[in-house]
Amino acid sequence: MAYIIIVSLLIGIVIGFILPINIPSTYVSYLSVAILAALDSVFGGIRASLEEKFDNLIFITGFFGNAILAGGLAYIGDVLGVPIYLAAIFVFGSRLFVNFAYIRRYLIDKMRKR
Amino acid sequence: MKKSVYISVALVSIVLGIMLSTQFKIVKKSGVVTVQRAEELAAQLKELQSEKDALLKQINDLEAKINAYEDSASKNSVITQTLKNDVEKYKELAGLTDLQGPGVIVTINDSKQAVPPGQDPNLFLVHDEDLLRVVNELRAAGAEAISLNDQRLIATSEIRCVGPTVNVNSVRFSAPYVIKAIGDPDTLEAALKLKGGVVDTLATWGIEVNIKKSDNILIKKYDGVIKFRYAKPLVEGENK
Repeated sequence: MAYIIIVSLLIGIVIGFILPINIPSTYVSYLSVAILAALDSVFGGIRASLEEKFDNLIFITGFFGNAILAGGLAYIGDVLGVPIYLAAIFVFGSRLFVNFAYIRRYLIDKMRKR
Repeated sequence: MKKSVYISVALVSIVLGIMLSTQFKIVKKSGVVTVQRAEELAAQLKELQSEKDALLKQINDLEAKINAYEDSASKNSVITQTLKNDVEKYKELAGLTDLQGPGVIVTINDSKQAVPPGQDPNLFLVHDEDLLRVVNELRAAGAEAISLNDQRLIATSEIRCVGPTVNVNSVRFSAPYVIKAIGDPDTLEAALKLKGGVVDTLATWGIEVNIKKSDNILIKKYDGVIKFRYAKPLVEGENK
């Protein structure tokens, strides 16, 4: 599992560098919020798979849904003059840490049992 | 685990990787000026400035040489003598010679008054428009040669705000501004001090204008190069 994630992540990074994808700098903030949401989904997926509650459909929809929702909300916030992206950063950021903490505990428990 | 799980995880990771690298590329490209780059530019600026100074010196040397040649040529015949006189006259008119004579020295400085709350602090600073008005008034009063902070004002000179400074002949100055003008000192002073005139208006904002009459003012020549790239003289009878 971990190998698949790392290898495909590297493949994605390489593809991203090779492909001439260009996003106007005004949209960079939306992309960064979307990235945060996506990262959160990935960590959530890792945690779920460690707890053996992994659901493929939830993982996929969560990944794309969260990313699109975060980017869209950030955009709407910019249009309305309400910094909604702060909410996205706060929520996804804190969840990222929570998920990471779970993963860390699970791995440490596993090591201790051996 | 099922095969589809691996595929979806791989897919998600690839998408995430693409997003990460795209973001990285954009952030890197969006041109944050690093300290290093700023230092580099500062060094470049310094170098070019010293180069400019050297070139100015070269211009002065060459001009001295031209003068020497003209002098020696004028000794030979009456024609070259008159030609030289003509050249001198036009140089004077064009602002290419140092001039001296009676006139006024006007010193203009930013207001030292405390800006009252709610007032625009910009009104208490000297702007290009204020300088232009003073210069305009001096010209109207018959000033024959004018310089601003020792930059001779010629036909192509500009007086323009660049941020908090003012550009004259592409040289940057900040307050105080010293305007020297050769002409009838009394007329020039009277023109500036007219009721409701420039000095009166500027005094409202507390901008300090100090006019000093003098019997002997030295106004330096224009030290740039005058060269027309687009304008050409019209030959008579060839009117298009």
